[in-house]
Amino acid sequence: MLIFDQIRKNDVQLQLLALFLCAGLAILLTGLWWVQIVNASRHRESVATQAFRSVRIPAQRGQIYDRTGIVLAENRPNYSIDLYLEELSPAFRKEYQRIRPRQVTTNDLPFWKDWLGFDAVKTNFPRVKGDDLERVARLRVVSSVAEKVGHLLQAPTSIDPTNFHRHYAVARAMPFPLVNNLSPRDVARFEEQYAGTVGVDLEIQARRFYPHSNVAAHVIGYVRQDNDSVNDEESFYWYRLPDYRGKVGIEGGLDQTLRGWAGEKSVQINSLLYRQTETIWEATVPGTNIVLTLDVAVQRAAEDALRKQIGSGGRGAVVVMEVNTGDILALASHPTYSPNQFAHGISRRDYQELQRLTAENNRATAENYQAGSIFKTIIALAALETPQSGFNPNAEYIVQPNPARPDRGIIYVGNNSWKDTVTPGKYNLRRAIARSSNAYFIHAGLLPGVFERVVEIGRRLHLGERFDTNSVPLRQQTAGNFPTAKRIQSKWRDGDSANICIGQGAMDVTPLQIAVMTSALANGGEVLKPRFIERLEINDPTGLATPIVPPRGQVRDHLGVSKRSLDILHEAMLSETESDEGTGRYVQGCGFRVCGKTGTAERNETRADGQKKNTTWFASYAPYESPRYAVVVMVEDGESGGKTCVPVAKEIYIALKSFETRTSNGAITATTR
Amino acid sequence: MNPLPINDSGPRVDRLQLAAIFCLMLIGLAFVFSATMITELAQAAPLVKQLWFRQGFWYCAGLSVATLLCFVDYHTLARWAGPAYWFNIALLVAVIFFGTVRGGARRWFDLSFFSLQPSEFAKLAFILALANFLSRPPEELRQPTNFWRAMGMLLLPFFLIAKQPDLGSAAVLLPTGFAMMFVAGVPRRYLLRCIGLVAALAVLLVVDALVSPTKTPLLLKEYQKQRLLVYFGKDFAPPNATPLEKRRWKQLQEEKSYQSQQALISVGSGGLTGQGWRQGKQTSLGFLPPGAAHTDFIFSVIAEEKGFVGSATVIALYAVVLFTGLRIAGQARDRLGKVLAVGVVTLLFSHVFINIGMNIRLMPVKGIPLPLLSYGGSSVLASMIALGMLQNVHIYRKGY
Repeated sequence: MLIFDQIRKNDVQLQLLALFLCAGLAILLTGLWWVQIVNASRHRESVATQAFRSVRIPAQRGQIYDRTGIVLAENRPNYSIDLYLEELSPAFRKEYQRIRPRQVTTNDLPFWKDWLGFDAVKTNFPRVKGDDLERVARLRVVSSVAEKVGHLLQAPTSIDPTNFHRHYAVARAMPFPLVNNLSPRDVARFEEQYAGTVGVDLEIQARRFYPHSNVAAHVIGYVRQDNDSVNDEESFYWYRLPDYRGKVGIEGGLDQTLRGWAGEKSVQINSLLYRQTETIWEATVPGTNIVLTLDVAVQRAAEDALRKQIGSGGRGAVVVMEVNTGDILALASHPTYSPNQFAHGISRRDYQELQRLTAENNRATAENYQAGSIFKTIIALAALETPQSGFNPNAEYIVQPNPARPDRGIIYVGNNSWKDTVTPGKYNLRRAIARSSNAYFIHAGLLPGVFERVVEIGRRLHLGERFDTNSVPLRQQTAGNFPTAKRIQSKWRDGDSANICIGQGAMDVTPLQIAVMTSALANGGEVLKPRFIERLEINDPTGLATPIVPPRGQVRDHLGVSKRSLDILHEAMLSETESDEGTGRYVQGCGFRVCGKTGTAERNETRADGQKKNTTWFASYAPYESPRYAVVVMVEDGESGGKTCVPVAKEIYIALKSFETRTSNGAITATTR
Repeated sequence: MNPLPINDSGPRVDRLQLAAIFCLMLIGLAFVFSATMITELAQAAPLVKQLWFRQGFWYCAGLSVATLLCFVDYHTLARWAGPAYWFNIALLVAVIFFGTVRGGARRWFDLSFFSLQPSEFAKLAFILALANFLSRPPEELRQPTNFWRAMGMLLLPFFLIAKQPDLGSAAVLLPTGFAMMFVAGVPRRYLLRCIGLVAALAVLLVVDALVSPTKTPLLLKEYQKQRLLVYFGKDFAPPNATPLEKRRWKQLQEEKSYQSQQALISVGSGGLTGQGWRQGKQTSLGFLPPGAAHTDFIFSVIAEEKGFVGSATVIALYAVVLFTGLRIAGQARDRLGKVLAVGVVTLLFSHVFINIGMNIRLMPVKGIPLPLLSYGGSSVLASMIALGMLQNVHIYRKGY
């Protein structure tokens, strides 16, 4: 080495010293290599942990439209005034310095110091233990800001000290929300007078809003505030901005589709934990918009008709389904709620009230009901399809009078008897349907081979089974009950069959299942999957992405019955509404010729006035000439199917008539944007 | 009077060393700038209040003083060694009584525009005086009385500086003094005995701190004990502490080890090539304590922003300064020049080793500046004067 050679060879001391220096520098270099090269990544991680805070940013939630493009669920800007603590930190310090204790002493200076111009007055700041005083200073600053803002908004604004101190302790890098839910007037006032003020700013957050309030509430469902990560999303964040999570209905069942992908921003903080800068690490992917098969006008008509009929405390459900496509045009459940309540935080009292009414339950899909007489249509079908039974629809069956009440019929099976509500006399199928004779259908159902066929048709209707969640994505479903072929082979008595023949006993259905059944009767025997989703519109700023359209008219099964039998039933169901003694005659005048069947199932409970509790039904489809719509109305504790449910259906058919006029004018093709 | 021979064609100054010194000064300016211009407040300050500018001023002042020194033959300087030594001893005594207290230590005289740290200059006076003393014939140095007189010259400032307390600065005197005696030809047995004594004392101090039977150590101050505990990674809490006490101790420990921890993270996060000038997160976000980043921890700033490449460059530049210094010692005209040069080189080396060592946790944290790079008037002036003396030895090597 250049320098070494120049140290004289015989100078051992200097050579030793040089060696010593070499060793020292080599130690330093080795140490640096160890720290900077070998362990660099560990130290970089330490920097990241202490200097960065990850924040979850929720994606814009997809909107929900009805089939004509009317918005049912949207995001509205929600303005709040936030305090930016890092901008206020100089004020904190200043206030602290103002209020900290001080000792002012005047010293007797030696003459030379005095002569040199030293100041005799000295201010000492004794050390203060703990950070109580700093907390006081901070709170004073933010309170005075809050007071000013409150004065501006003409609404007193105050800061909860515990809240603020907690926020300061755990989320100093995040803005502190001062006022939420600003009105547009307040926003304008604030912008005018406060724009650019240090430490205070407007913040916009998306707020889920349902413009039609409780219309179709049970289909749309509701969201609740929930900032957690879902499924395979990144789950570690320091802070999370408010987000929603769908709980039930479409909001719940298609939550993944609607919510999109949350993004992430990284907030760089300094050693005092204040925010320094922000970088978006991962942009959000907005959620997909959903267009429902619902039609708001029909839905509203259904809800209004139901409410008018049963009052605000009544319980019932309506399902309107297109019989050829499975499209659900309306699905109502009463009593109902407004999804807005849940999205913005429901009060305890309101929630208790909803629970008392069991308003959250979707009675169209998630509650078991006895089908009652509407199930007689299936008994008729099974009898017609069982040649060995010798059932003849035109043959007359004589209903015997009830000895206890001679103007009403009765039928005996084994040791038990079933009362009939019809007068004794001769009944053929058409009259039996129209008058809804229990005796007639119990007799028909117990003919050889018929009941097995009933169970078979029930299986093909998938009674006692849930719908596929793709087809009914509401998260509120019940399977209902229906005997299987295996079940009726042992310990099954004719009495059990007789109960099923009048839609009672060991079977439960939901209105949606009945709507699928009615559609099958109307469309020639195809058991369809209900269809709630018209299309999914990917949120693409260019608007070029093709929407995803779930297939229409997906067939789940076939009834496996002949056209002849269906035609006979078709005529019989028409006479229910068109013959003078038909229980469904009140539906006349709705603009369609309607085929229908009423029903009143007795429940095993009694009302306060001693009368038995009922489930009243009207299952119908129209028009008779070429059926397009199935309308199912169910009311708990109604008077009777004919008197309670049929008028509701009539209103709905009127709405469907105008729906038809609208759609033929091309309104259905209206875009959602 | 022109002291330089007119017909001398050889180098008047050691240019290689001068070049390295200029490089170090440039680096110093750049990174004092980087370490201090992090807040808007600092950026908005008038130029004369900006620390990098002040550092530049001290470089200029130091350069001027060093140049002036070079016009006076070091033999002439050595004649003033005695008075300079005692004057500095007087200052060290004075600072104990009249100094300004900062962070629990009286090390400074507050001259309102500049706070003077007398220990920095005392080291130089000590080197000059000891070199002057050791330049007597080697035969005389073999006498024990002379050796003990030399030891006395070493220990007097050592204890005064340690009393401030500034154990780091005091400790620097030991290797410097020993190296000078070694090169001057003091018999090795004396030196080995002394070094053995010092080593035993050091071990005693460490043992005292780590496993002290009493709550407070016998020889060290509480804060010095804590620094040693941090360095050795030991818990502060005594073994029989209650959980609450343990938590308090732990908190205290975190506070105390914060600086050294953050310095290590800064150095380590630099990696091979660093984050880039003024891009260091540790510095700009204030994790590296803002009061210390531009002074004792300037090396962390350099290492974070320029990585291993940068820190190796700094070490290479110091190596150039140190080894050219040794060359100057080897080429010196007489033993006075040689011992003086060795003293300066060892002093610089001790500073560099301890300061960089504490940045990478090789050494406990001590208030030792990095020569030429750390911000500070006293330190820069003292370093420049030391280097001026070194160049002086070089310039007057052919003075006869």
